[in-house]
Amino acid sequence: MADPGSALAVPTVDAAGLAVGFSTALRRSGLPVPPDRAARLAEAMRLIPPHARDALYWTSRVVLVSRREQLPVFDAVFAAVFDGMLDPADSRGDTSAPPPIGGEIRTRPTAKDERPSNAAASPQHPTMSPGGDSEGGAGPEREAILAMASPEEHLHDVAFAELAADEVAEMRRLVRKIVLATPTRKSRRTQRTPHRSARLDLRRTVRAAHRTGGDSIRLIYSQRRTRSRRLVLLCDVSASMEPYTRVFLSLLQGSVVGAGAEAFVFSTRLTRLTRQLATRNPDQALARAASAASDWAGGTRLAESIRSFVDDHGRRGLARGAVVVVLSDGWAHDAPELVGEQMARLSRLAYRIVWVNPRKVAVDYQPLVGGMAAALPYCDAFVSGHSYRALTEVAAAIRANRPSHPERQRGPDNATR
Amino acid sequence: MTGPARGGAEDDVLQRIPDVAALQAALDDVDYLVDPGLATALFLAVRLPQPILLEGEPGVGKTEAAKALARVLDTPLYRLQCYEGIDAGEALYEWNYPRQLLGIRLAEVRDARLDETELFGPEYLLRRPLLKAIEHTGPRPAVLLLDEIDRADAEFEAFTFELLAEAAVTIPELGTVQATHPPIVILTSNRTRDLHDALTRRCLYHWIDYPAPERIAEIVRRRVPSSAEPIALQAASAITRLRSLDMDKPPGIAEAIDWVSALTILGVERLDVRAVDQTWGTILKNRDDHDLALARGAGWLVGDEHG
Repeated sequence: MADPGSALAVPTVDAAGLAVGFSTALRRSGLPVPPDRAARLAEAMRLIPPHARDALYWTSRVVLVSRREQLPVFDAVFAAVFDGMLDPADSRGDTSAPPPIGGEIRTRPTAKDERPSNAAASPQHPTMSPGGDSEGGAGPEREAILAMASPEEHLHDVAFAELAADEVAEMRRLVRKIVLATPTRKSRRTQRTPHRSARLDLRRTVRAAHRTGGDSIRLIYSQRRTRSRRLVLLCDVSASMEPYTRVFLSLLQGSVVGAGAEAFVFSTRLTRLTRQLATRNPDQALARAASAASDWAGGTRLAESIRSFVDDHGRRGLARGAVVVVLSDGWAHDAPELVGEQMARLSRLAYRIVWVNPRKVAVDYQPLVGGMAAALPYCDAFVSGHSYRALTEVAAAIRANRPSHPERQRGPDNATR
Repeated sequence: MTGPARGGAEDDVLQRIPDVAALQAALDDVDYLVDPGLATALFLAVRLPQPILLEGEPGVGKTEAAKALARVLDTPLYRLQCYEGIDAGEALYEWNYPRQLLGIRLAEVRDARLDETELFGPEYLLRRPLLKAIEHTGPRPAVLLLDEIDRADAEFEAFTFELLAEAAVTIPELGTVQATHPPIVILTSNRTRDLHDALTRRCLYHWIDYPAPERIAEIVRRRVPSSAEPIALQAASAITRLRSLDMDKPPGIAEAIDWVSALTILGVERLDVRAVDQTWGTILKNRDDHDLALARGAGWLVGDEHG
């Protein structure tokens, strides 16, 4: 570090200063660069003297970037700092850089209140009591998710779209506590079992024999453990879904924290929010989510978003054997046949697809909207999830096992499932 | 920041890889073609030394990079393929229980004395890749490849990194094994889940871009030396054209190599419509992709519409 290299392109900047200045510029642009990275960069520049732009670019990129998503920001900052022959020390006052992530808390605009706040509960969907959906899944009904008794019970049947502003906060608190559980599958890990029919576990048997001095060997059997399937939530945050997303986001956050779910939102493009929502402080999580996705309340590109999910995440393993929940009204800009095509791809990966459409609850609802009609044949369950009580159905649909007969005979006619 | 045994690379390594250009040339010599970006990344991984996380589309040569680096350094490569539920017994070491049982039985039959220390001697230890890499006696550090680390559990990830940072393993029955030559660690990930911050913080990172047709052609020529001169570049361009379609499983470098091998065996000198029609199966492995490509036609694929 003391010898900054005799043939530097920038004459008087020493490696340490350069490294610190550049890392600071990156941090200002929202790239998380821990302080020890700057030291590592200085060290790296000692090994690879920055004689040329390329050497400097690759060295700093390899050291400072830690995920692919950071590359565009990195490239932009690199160009701004070095291609403009700017002294990194001067860039500290760079006002054009985007604000640091999480620095400024942006709140999402909420929908206008279309209901007098003293309105009585208007249960449009009265038949769905927690125990009445036995055809949805074979899971034990005593695990009903609405076990907690709430003083706000009058809110249970109110459609999310009709909540007043103060009730939304209350509802979010309630919804966050819902614990979603997925069906189980066999893991590769094993556990002890008393059943003789299971596999003999030599490792555990010998370990146990050590304890008794190696004499009396008791045979220990093991069987494969079960694990919950992965839960993936894709939430539509376009303008048409806006009244519902303010509550659905809390559902997403609750399941990311409580059930280890993966959460994505989409309108014109897809954004992964798992990382942002994984904070236990809900307000902070939602604020982080709001600043991570830029296209709230835009149009919907349903097919494009599902395609991008399948390509970038699903095929890599995220959707394989998972329960995928799509929260959307199916109103999309893209052609229905494209939606159908992408849903077909998704259904080949996923264990089950649950579609949550709050508009389903309308009395005369028919899934005729182009995107919805095209997607329906690929869904294993189609539920409304429009109110707190209706979320019971969602939970039951998520918990349900796939029927053992492999043929998936589905279509608009079983929309009542 | 750096572990106890990591004061920079050893002299021997230093001589083999004095700078980025030398590493690039050396990798070239073992038939692994790299761009300056990947060369810089591997150079820093060896020289800082620091674990490096490689990401990129399937088939861009992430695993191959580790193998090539091991060849350049002339050291063994220890590869740990991660999967869900992998644990220390499969990654680090395990006692050979069946053999121990057999040893006890034999001792009984022969009426011999068998001490516990004998039963837990090195000959009853099954060494897994992590332990092998740490035990490696030199003269140069081994290359340790943790393939698809994202498939393992987060706990395993943390355990591995703790181990590598200390470059030492404690086996209760045998004692502590301290690495004399801490391994060069290369990780690959397919991004099925977010890796832990602690891991990304300790690693260098490089995203491998999909190479340009000329480079694919160069790679293919290296791998299929018997192929006719123009066909490698033609096939590479065709593959790149195919990748512009919206495919489920876009063909990669491996497919290009397979394809050119197939064409060479069939005795095809120049890529034409007939040759393509015969060999679709070597490049497209999905029905939908096949239909998509057929809709554009073999003529489009070989670039005929201009001629």
